[in-house]
Order: sequence, then C-alpha cells, then structure tokens
Amino acid sequence: MVVDSELYYQISRFLAEEASLLDQRQFREWIDLLANDVIYRMPLRVTRDPSDGPSIIDEMTFFEEDKLSLTTRVNRLGTTSAWAESPPSRTRHYVTNILVEPGSRSDEVTVRSNFLVLRSRGNSPECEQIFGERIDVLRRVGDRWSIAARTIYPDQSVIGTQNFSIFL
Amino acid sequence: MAHTRLDAKTFDLIRQKLNEGVLPQWVSTDPEIYQAELEKIFAHTWHFLGHESELKEPGSYVTRWIVNDPVLLVRANNGEIRALLNSCTHRGVMLCTTDFGKRKNFTCPYHGWTFNLDGELIGIIAGDKVYGKEMDRSKWALRMIPKIATYHGMIFGTLDSDAVPLEEFLGGMKWYLDIMVGRSDGGMEVRGVPQRWIVRTNWKISADNFGGDPYHTAMTHRSTVELGISPKDPLFASYGHQVVLDHGHGVNVINAAPGLKMPPYQGLPEEMWPMFKRNLTPEQLDVFSTTVVVVGNCFPNLSFVSPMHGTKGSDGLLTNFLTLRVWRPLGPDTIEVCSWFLVDKAAPADMKEASYRSYIGSFGASGTLEQDDTEIWTRVAQASKGFMARDKDIHFDNVLNYAMGMGRVMPDETWPGPGVAYPTTYLDAISRGFYEHWLNMIAKED
Repeated sequence: MVVDSELYYQISRFLAEEASLLDQRQFREWIDLLANDVIYRMPLRVTRDPSDGPSIIDEMTFFEEDKLSLTTRVNRLGTTSAWAESPPSRTRHYVTNILVEPGSRSDEVTVRSNFLVLRSRGNSPECEQIFGERIDVLRRVGDRWSIAARTIYPDQSVIGTQNFSIFL
Repeated sequence: MAHTRLDAKTFDLIRQKLNEGVLPQWVSTDPEIYQAELEKIFAHTWHFLGHESELKEPGSYVTRWIVNDPVLLVRANNGEIRALLNSCTHRGVMLCTTDFGKRKNFTCPYHGWTFNLDGELIGIIAGDKVYGKEMDRSKWALRMIPKIATYHGMIFGTLDSDAVPLEEFLGGMKWYLDIMVGRSDGGMEVRGVPQRWIVRTNWKISADNFGGDPYHTAMTHRSTVELGISPKDPLFASYGHQVVLDHGHGVNVINAAPGLKMPPYQGLPEEMWPMFKRNLTPEQLDVFSTTVVVVGNCFPNLSFVSPMHGTKGSDGLLTNFLTLRVWRPLGPDTIEVCSWFLVDKAAPADMKEASYRSYIGSFGASGTLEQDDTEIWTRVAQASKGFMARDKDIHFDNVLNYAMGMGRVMPDETWPGPGVAYPTTYLDAISRGFYEHWLNMIAKED
C-alpha cells in the first residue's frame, strides 16, 4: 500500500525538524517529541554468517531507553559537568531514504530511514561517523507527530566514535 | 642531545621517580615503550578471551584477540575449549572472520584447506594428487595459543608457554573474583555479545583509572552528583579499602558512607543469599555483605566494575551489575574497548533485566558515567605527546602525581582478604604497584 504524498511530506518534514533539534542541541524540545510510552533502542551489529542468524543482536544494546531514562540523559547534558559534551561537540544528522508504511494502529505509521551522523569534537580535524538504519513508529497526536518507538541499527560492529554522548 | 633510547638508564630514572611517587609523563603514549610493552608484557601475561557461557555447545566459537594475535576460541566436540591462532597454516589467511557462531569445521577461502574443531588439518582440495599421500598433515594443524585455562568460567590464554599457571598469575585476585563471579550456583552468564568501540587513549590510562582511581568519581562523574544520583560528599567513593595485590593487580572494595544504610550484598535479591553462603568463605561473605562497589584491574588490561546504579534519576532503585572489559591496545594512543555484561545465571529474571538496564544507563559506549571517562582519557593522551611531556630526561619536570597517601596512610592489618589493604580507596597505592610491575616487566633483560 502506498501512502499519499501529503503524508510522506509530513513525515519527511518531521524527521528533518527532529534532526534539526538534535543538531541545535535543543534536547528538551526533542524529548517533547517522544511519546510517554516511547521505546528507544540501539541493538548491536555483529559480523555473522547469515546461516548462523541475523547480523543484529537484540539481547545487547547501546541504548535501551524509555522516556524517563532519556530524560535523565538530557538532564545530564544540562549539568555543568557532562565533560563528554563540555565543550559541546557539533553533530550533523543526515536522514535520508525515507520509506513510510501504515502502522499497526490507524494513528501510527512505520518509517524506515537511513542515518549518517557526523560529529566534530573540539579542535580535532577528524570526523567521527555513526551510520545505519532506523525503524520508527510515529504516532499522530492531534495535529502533531510523536515518536512512539525508535530502533537504531548501526552498520559498524566496532563503533568508531569514543562514546554515544549524543542521540541518534 | 635528547636522550631517546630505552636503556637501563631510562628504566632506572623511571624507577627512581616511582619511588618518589611520580611517573614520567612520557611513558603514557611513547611508541618505543609501546613496542616494549607488546614484547615484554602482552606476549607473556594471561589474557581474558571470553566466558564459557559464550561457547554454549560443541562447535560454538567466538573470534577474539590477544592484542594483534587473532584467536579462534572453540568448544570442541568433546566439550573442551580450544584456543587456536586464527591464521590458516597454508598461507596465513585469517581463517574465520565472523564474530561468533557454530561450525563443524573451518574451511579457508583461499585454497580450501579445512580444519576441525581441534585445529587438525582434515581436508585439502586434491590433496593426494598435489601434495601426495606422504604429506604429514599433523605438521599443518592450526597453531595453538600456547596455554589456556579458566577460572569460574572466565577463559584466559597466554602466548608464553613458560607462563606460571593462571591461578598463580591471578594470585590474590582470585579471592575477589570469587565474590564477583563465583558466588552463585552455575556461575555467571554473558548477555548477548560484548560492546566494542574505539577510544583514542593509551591502554594504561584506562587500566590505571579502573584499577586504582576511585578518587576520580566525584569530579569526572560530577554530573551524576548534580543530578542527585550520586551523593554530594566528595568522599563518597572513598569509604572502603584499596587493596594492592601481587603481579600488578588491584581491587577497590567500596562501602557505604558511615551512617548510610545500604542493602547487603550489593542489593542482590534475598533469594540468592543462601547461594552466597554456600559458595563463599565466611570472610568473603562478610566483606561482600557490606560491599557497594567493587572496581579494579587485573594486570595488564582486564578491568572490572560492579557498582550499584540506577538510571531513572535520584529516586530510582539501585541495581547491581558486573562489567568486564579489555582495553585492547591498537597503538600507543588507541584502544578497542571490549565490554562484557555478566549476570548470575541463577538470578531471578526481573533482576537480570534491571541489572542490564543499570549497565546500559551507566557504562558501555552510551553510559552516563563511561562517556565522561572516555572523554577524559582522550584528553590525557592529547596532552602527553609533545616535546615537553615526551622528554625522557624530564628536563621540564613532566611527571604525573601518584603520591596520594604515600607515607600518610598505613595498611589495615585486620583486612580478611589477600593483598595489602588500606582503609581508604582514595590512594595511589594500586597505581604505583601497577607501574612498578609494569616497569619490572619492560626492563627485564631477555
């Protein structure tokens, strides 16, 4: 089933605005985009023979969050001593290849997107990269969209950034 | 002319400085020191490779590393564990490039040589024709990692066939490992697979931080104090004992602040306590009953922390978890962190889940504590590579302060466990012990 272009535009715009909030470090506004029952997870990628099973290990993650734990993370970034982000890094979230399908509820859609986050820390000329795929469940609440679920699948089995002090 | 060589004079100066309670800054990221460490330390010590729970049945394997030596860790058909060099004996190809799985045998993609789970060469394409029936295939078995041994399910390997037995190498650390991984029936289990990520620091910086530095908690992790997750008292992580062990190992056993009531046995459920009584000695049980955090390092680069931590802010429940990690050296200023989460097999399901959440929230690549640790360690490496820091003759007095408590804090003779135990964890005794052992190994003549 193909979703109509108006819906596709709304979803694309929502994801672009969400990415902008993260890059502008407007974390409180970002938290407000999350549904109260949000599930936010980032399982591990492994190098595995397909005959042995999928290349994603669900039992272990880099993020296994609900709204409360994500709020704690945002609160931490608002303290005076979150050294990993003090001084703040600069991130640029590139979200592309957006595909929208109807969700399991009439007020929800399932959204796949590719992500590439480039990060510059301090005065290092190096560019940190995190990239992969996201599967979101977005939920219509009144005239807005909210994130009911996000699963982030990194492409790297050994992560090249020194931490995840940012959100994906 | 600057003194650039690593020689007896260099080592004597380091030793002299350590006796004064300081460490020349140049040893942190010096490339010659790094090569000496690879040859004199990493080629001789025991290395943590994985846990038995990661090899569930015959044919199960994981691929790991001892620094630059790739290891194929396999459970053979008879149930025993084999550690094989992951390099085809024909032309050297890395035989298995997947992280884990299950196999009947391993076939090299280059020319098709096939090895069984014991590393024996059992198949060569057109072998009889091209090499002849007279070929002695036993000479072409996969090379074995010289020694492997396990302790409470923890699998170790060493590249030194003359290495002392694992239990002798662990020495007094065994007593503390018993409390962390030997307390429950059936032992521990690894959940999923380890997290792996890269940090631009030297392995000694992270090993020393875990091994001997509870002092950093109040400031590096001050964000958790601001959030109300950690106590305001800057001494909150100091109550307890810093225990210096032989062979460069060290462990810090941290208790609650005086007057603060914490649940016994790191808050582990009461239904588990009878197992502790059964599996631990009365002395271990007594120490464990008042333990809040255990943190330390097994020389050279296996660290562990078992804290009590919540993720939901200041009013959440605190749950215990255990993480083991290897700071794998990739270069003088780069490590690959390999971080395992373990939990008691016999723990109730809801405790296992809470423990896992507690780990993800605090440690690992996204951990609210670990994020700041890796940031700080990167900054140490950044500032330690210059002309001043790198001067081996210390003309610029670039020495690092490891003098905390020297001559001021005396051992607690009443400590019931092995090692020299001091009645505070804010101390540099373990760090000096770590670096003294490090120096003995790299200065050793062949």
